[in-house]
Amino acid sequence: MSSEVLALDLVVPAVNGAIQGSVYGLLGLGIVLLYKSSRIFNFAQAEFGGVAAFVWVFFDTGKWFLPDLPTPLAVVMGVLAGVLVALLTERLVVRPLFNAPKITVVVATAGVLLLLIALEGFTYGGTAGTFPPVFSGDAYSGTAIRITNQGVAIMITLAVLSIAAALFFSRTRTGTAILAVSQEPTATRLVGISVERISSLTWALAGFLAGVAGILLAGTVGLAAPGSITGLALVPAFTAAVFGGVTSLPGALVGGIVIGIIEAEAQTNIPKEHLPGAGKVALFVALLVVLLIRPAGLLGKET
Amino acid sequence: MSLLEIQELRTGYGALPVLQGISFAVEEGTTAVVFGLNGAGKTTTVNCLAGLLPVWGGEIRFDGQVLSGKSPKAIVEAGLALAPEGRRVWPGLSVLKNLELGAWSRKDRGGVGATLEQVFGYFPRLDERKDQLAGTLSGGEQQMLAIGRAIMSRPRLLMIDEASLGLSPKLAQTVFEVVSQINDDGTTVIIVEQNVGVLPYADQALIMEKGTLTYDGSGAELERTGELRRTYLGEAAAS
Repeated sequence: MSSEVLALDLVVPAVNGAIQGSVYGLLGLGIVLLYKSSRIFNFAQAEFGGVAAFVWVFFDTGKWFLPDLPTPLAVVMGVLAGVLVALLTERLVVRPLFNAPKITVVVATAGVLLLLIALEGFTYGGTAGTFPPVFSGDAYSGTAIRITNQGVAIMITLAVLSIAAALFFSRTRTGTAILAVSQEPTATRLVGISVERISSLTWALAGFLAGVAGILLAGTVGLAAPGSITGLALVPAFTAAVFGGVTSLPGALVGGIVIGIIEAEAQTNIPKEHLPGAGKVALFVALLVVLLIRPAGLLGKET
Repeated sequence: MSLLEIQELRTGYGALPVLQGISFAVEEGTTAVVFGLNGAGKTTTVNCLAGLLPVWGGEIRFDGQVLSGKSPKAIVEAGLALAPEGRRVWPGLSVLKNLELGAWSRKDRGGVGATLEQVFGYFPRLDERKDQLAGTLSGGEQQMLAIGRAIMSRPRLLMIDEASLGLSPKLAQTVFEVVSQINDDGTTVIIVEQNVGVLPYADQALIMEKGTLTYDGSGAELERTGELRRTYLGEAAAS
């Protein structure tokens, strides 16, 4: 094997993995956001994105009585659906369990995940359908490497949303209030901050991030079925969050990209006959290594 | 009209009653100190006044306005602030952010800077450590921060629960002196305390036992009567 081919075997999956990993990072960002504010893991996070993807396609194709909207508007409707389903989850499931043990709330989010998958199956059918990319065409097309406009859009979206999230938490009163609620809810109420309103806002933000990620992921993969976004991205997104130390927003971003690259490299370079599903195996190995060597995550600091 | 008037206040936790119907009033510009043993209902009283516990019965009036059943947000906006038991600072936020969040309910955003300077005037140590995470402060500094955070809402009535708990006698004295200064600057103060060292600063003293009020009088009178000794040490010590 020539050194050029070897280099390509490493570079191509690295590029693809970084793009896919950016979506994991976006979902991881939402997971971290909810963990920072309420100390719970949301198992339904990726499926908020699944709902957004289905609603986007429903509006993009004018399903049932829905208008056939131009793609940008259909995308907005999809993201809004992600926000709405997150808000409903907060209002109907999380808020009634405010005083329950955290594990109860976590299990309840797993229940929400199953419900959403069932609803998707009810509205879309049980089989996979094609999902077009939001951005068509290629940004770069060489002999071995091809970078799609969708891929570039994903990377830019992740960068913009990460910077926006970092500024939101470090520079705004509302961002600081979200952090305060997670650290000391009683004091937060005492200064006049509505813990309920902050909780709604946080879930809405998480729904927004999931919505964007779900639409971009479904369009990149080109196929989606009820529950497939969770199947594809939930574990990598959790891993991305843990990589970053669970409470670090930049950590989730870096973690997502690292996870995406590891997964893609393993999938491409470890033959299937030697290790079927090498990508996912590598992902779990990486997670175990991080937990054993650096349990606080790569960045290991609440930011 | 008193600034704070409480009539037959009853509350508790879950189904467990704690306050059995207490009544007292606090005049504007004074310092009232609430004494009592653990479990007497002191913290329950101030938590109820701050809106953290529901009012089961009776009435809370602040400057003539009924506050019973109002949310903590409405209560802090009305002018009552609580520095709670255990300090409850936000450990992962800087001292400055803790103080800034204390002003969350204020409509006059322009005046927040002046109050911040006032807090730093009371507690210069907080100014020195304003960029430090609150969780890394000592117990005394966290107590200062909890009081400073409550002042940031510019309250007319400041309630401090267990101001000296866990502090050295010298530091406790410093905290009492600053609280006295805050009172001199026009803020009415209620201090919940077990430390009798606060008595010289008390215009009004209240003693609670088992969810009832057993004494309501002046601080000077309480020093004379030996009532505090009876509360803390029993009948034999008082006689």
